[in-house]
Amino acid sequence: MEFKTSEGRIEIDAKRDGSSFSLEGMKIHTGEELWLEINGRKQKAVATKVGDVWWVHVNGHTMQFEVIEPGASSADDEGGLSAPMPGKILEVHVSVGQSVKSGDVLMVMEAMKMEHKIVAGSDGVVEGIHFAEGDQVPQGAELLSLGE
Amino acid sequence: MLKRTLVANRGEIACRILRACREAGIEGVAIYASNDTGTLFTELADLSVQLEGEGLAETYLNQEQILQIAIDTGCDSIHPGFGFLSERADFAQAVMDSGLIWIGPSPAAITQMGDKMTARITMKEAGVPVIPGEEVTGGLEEVLQIAPSVGYPLLLKATAGGGGKGMRAVHRQEDLESEAKAAMREALNAFGDDRIYVERLLTGSRHIEIQVLADKYGKIIHLGERECSIQRRHQKVFEESPSVALDAELREAMGEAACDAARAVAYEGAGTVEFLVTPEGEFFFLEMNTRIQVEHPVTEMVTGVDLVREQLRIAGGNAMSCGPLNMRGHAIEVRLYAEDPSNNFLPAIGKLKKFIAPSGPGVRLDTGVREGDAVTPDYDPMLAKLIVWAPSREEALQRMGRALDEFVVLGCTTNVRFLRELCTHPDVVDGWTTTDMIDRLWPDGWSPDISEQMSNAGLLIAAACESTNHGRVLTSSGSSSSIPSPFSTINRRFP
Repeated sequence: MEFKTSEGRIEIDAKRDGSSFSLEGMKIHTGEELWLEINGRKQKAVATKVGDVWWVHVNGHTMQFEVIEPGASSADDEGGLSAPMPGKILEVHVSVGQSVKSGDVLMVMEAMKMEHKIVAGSDGVVEGIHFAEGDQVPQGAELLSLGE
Repeated sequence: MLKRTLVANRGEIACRILRACREAGIEGVAIYASNDTGTLFTELADLSVQLEGEGLAETYLNQEQILQIAIDTGCDSIHPGFGFLSERADFAQAVMDSGLIWIGPSPAAITQMGDKMTARITMKEAGVPVIPGEEVTGGLEEVLQIAPSVGYPLLLKATAGGGGKGMRAVHRQEDLESEAKAAMREALNAFGDDRIYVERLLTGSRHIEIQVLADKYGKIIHLGERECSIQRRHQKVFEESPSVALDAELREAMGEAACDAARAVAYEGAGTVEFLVTPEGEFFFLEMNTRIQVEHPVTEMVTGVDLVREQLRIAGGNAMSCGPLNMRGHAIEVRLYAEDPSNNFLPAIGKLKKFIAPSGPGVRLDTGVREGDAVTPDYDPMLAKLIVWAPSREEALQRMGRALDEFVVLGCTTNVRFLRELCTHPDVVDGWTTTDMIDRLWPDGWSPDISEQMSNAGLLIAAACESTNHGRVLTSSGSSSSIPSPFSTINRRFP
């Protein structure tokens, strides 16, 4: 399973035993409640998913991990059309002024040798295209703007 | 005695006041903008009325509309809370002109304290120490003449100005002439007025304020100090009482000065006199806040006085109820903001998918939000005030640390971990808190320091939750069979 964190992409390969998962001497017990066990000491954790991101609270720390579904990356619920990670624009499928429908592929970008489709989260009109084919984009860069 | 009060505010402070009204047997009327529909404070009121319009100017700052609602709903009084209309003398006057009771000081007192120059002159006349400084009208020569009596380092400010234009810090006599010329030139260009003001620059000073209460019967008391030095972007984040910088003698001197300040404007109700205190123990009047303050709970914890109940009592024409004060222990308040400390403390938004507040001995939470609420850019990003009380400062810091560890907020980035680490920061533990502390220690913002083990633990938890569809699993009491079995997902995603 792969996640995106502030330090980049991390792959995790945990061992499973029923409802428990272990990794490097740590164990997490899932169920209605989450319990993290390190060296036999248990502490409660709280986690919830917002969009593709797992928010985790444990030991006074709050962390975020974005689940990476290989192959496609669509715009999030808020309609923001930003680069999910640093990469290169491979294709631009639309032009300024064009009407698009929710689900239309607007751009294709490449990151970490994987292609990500930038998909319209709602119906609208393309108001601006901020990058061209071949451009490198930083993470979070707004790629297109879509109006009502 | 008040019977029905309109609370002209929202969120946390509206909750605080409405609860006090309920305890005092006063009916509370809430007003709310459409984007506050269904929030906590609207439920704590006996009656909630939706404001027409959008944006602050049409809603919470709309004097005519708010006053009309108060009249239409049969209120006899209005409590403005803090912010919004709380320091608007014209609103206070309009409320009184309508025959209602304004829960706060007189419009004249608000005006006198609201204008910085008037306040300065009034305080000087009342014998309250003000920051040494003089207005210069006679040009450069007069600046050079006055400067030595003000003392170095000093600050040159445009009398007409603001926003840093025409403002120059001068540390040495040698630099005075060139800096004064520059300041006057800047002031003339920016404001068409080259009058400047020479004021002592107080570096490394603390922001300490004194809470006062005054009733209609001439009784004025002070309730000790609050130390509010830890600030970011000129907003307080950590407040405590008592201050480590004050001994009994200085506390009494500042308390007396604060009472003199209140007396000079015939103050009524709860108010706060802010001072700058230098490392040498000199103190200077900064301003008076003519309202209840965000950080009032720390005073309540150490004095045992309910400041909002006293406001209601005093406004209703009664004498204040507190006798001689017996201050005990130590109280700390932190402000939980929806903001990203790693992104220079800029506001964050999101939905509070999890909001689990700490509890236990000596812990108080004042908030206007609940789990499930959305944090929007429409209003102030303060989500909650967490207040602890303990017998000593050391124990209060430990208790605050413990409480912040328990505080779970997921779905919106907050400063909770930053606040947690403040509790064990050597400067805080040793009491070396100054107003420039955050800027000095973390000039580029603050990022959490998470051990690799904790980071891996977080990752493991996320992976386990993803595999088991955590949180979407119904308990055995759930009856819906349309929810897909989580086991199919587990098999597919995890080897």
